Amino acid sequence: MEQDGKRVTRRKFLETGIGVITGAIAIGLGGTALTSIGAPAITNKREGKWVEAGSASEIADGQFHKVGIVYDAKDGWLEGKVKQLVYVKLNGEEVFALSATCTHLGCNVNFDEQTGNFKCPCHSGVYDATGKNVSGPPPRSLAKLEAKIEDGKLMINTAVKEA
Amino acid sequence: MFGRLVEVFDRRFGFREDFKRNVLDHPVPPRINLTYCFGGITFLLYMLLAATGITMLFFYVPSVDHAFVTVEYITFDLPLGNPIRAIHHWSAQLMIVFVSLHMLRVFVYGAYKNPREFNWVTGVFLFGITLAFGFTGYLLPWDQKAYWATKVGVLMPKSLPAVGPFLSQLLMGGDDLGALTLSRFFAIHVAVLPIFTVIFLAGHF
Repeated sequence: MEQDGKRVTRRKFLETGIGVITGAIAIGLGGTALTSIGAPAITNKREGKWVEAGSASEIADGQFHKVGIVYDAKDGWLEGKVKQLVYVKLNGEEVFALSATCTHLGCNVNFDEQTGNFKCPCHSGVYDATGKNVSGPPPRSLAKLEAKIEDGKLMINTAVKEA
Repeated sequence: MFGRLVEVFDRRFGFREDFKRNVLDHPVPPRINLTYCFGGITFLLYMLLAATGITMLFFYVPSVDHAFVTVEYITFDLPLGNPIRAIHHWSAQLMIVFVSLHMLRVFVYGAYKNPREFNWVTGVFLFGITLAFGFTGYLLPWDQKAYWATKVGVLMPKSLPAVGPFLSQLLMGGDDLGALTLSRFFAIHVAVLPIFTVIFLAGHF
C-alpha cells in the first residue's frame, strides 16, 4: 500500500488498526458514561406547577392571607410532599403572592397587621408589604410567586417568579 | 498540541518505547490460536465493568431504603442508564465464563509451568477475586433474587466445623442479612476488591 509516497507496512497497519479500535471503544464507553453522569443536570429539574390553595372568596377583602400549599415533588429517585406557606393578597384582578420562607434561615415569617410588615420570629428579620427586606439579617427580599384566580379558585405556581 | 505534550512526557518517562516493546512488539510463540485471547478478553471485560460500575456509583445508594429505588432509577429514568447496567450485568456473566476458559486453557497447555508459576499463583487469586466480585455484586440491587441468593451464600460457611457460625456472622455483619450486610458487600465490591485486583493484575501480566 502506498500513502504519501511512503510504504505502509503490515505492522504499521495493524498498529493503527489497534489504535482505532481501542479509541472507538474508549469514546463509545466514555461517551455513554459521561452522558449518564451529565444528564441529571438537564433532566432533574425543579418544575413549577399550579397548585390549588383554597377558594378565591377567602382573599376577597384585599388583605394578606396566609395559605398553605402541599404538592408532590420529585428529586432524582426521591418522591415526597413539599409543604409551603404563602402570603397572598388580592390587588384588583391580580393576586400578589409571597413565599413565607424567610431568606435568612428559612423560618416562616408572620404578617404584622399593626405595622403592615412581615416579621420573622427567629431572628427578627423584617420585610415590608412588598416583600423587600428592610431590617435584620435577611439578605434578600421574600420570593415572589405567580398566583391567579381561576374558576373561583386560588391557584399558586410552585416555581419562584422572582427571588 | 497533544502530540507535543506526549513528546514531553515521553522524553522523561520513555513510555512509547516501553509500550512498543512490551505490547506491540511483544514476542509471541509460533502457532498461537484464538484461545490465547481468553485472558485479554477477561481484561477487556474487567475494564468495561470498571467504567460502567463507576458510572452507576454516581447514582446508586447502598442502603436498604434506597438501594432498590436507585437501581430502578438507573434502569428506567436515567438516560442510557439501562444499557450501562446491562453492560455491567452481561460483562460480569461473561467475565466468569472467560476467566474459567482462560484458566482451563493455561492448565491444558501447561502454561503455568516455570518460569510462569507466579502468573498461575496470582491468577488463582484473581479467579477468587472475580468470584467474590460476583457474590458481593449480586446482593446490591436488593431485590428478592438478590436477597435470597445471598441468604443461601452467607449461610454456606455455617456448616464448617468450629469457625463456621462466626464466618457466617462476619459475612452478614450480625445474625441477620440486613443493612450491615448490604453496606459491607458494597464496600467490598467497589473498594476492596478493585484494589486487590490491580495489585494482583500487576503481578499477573
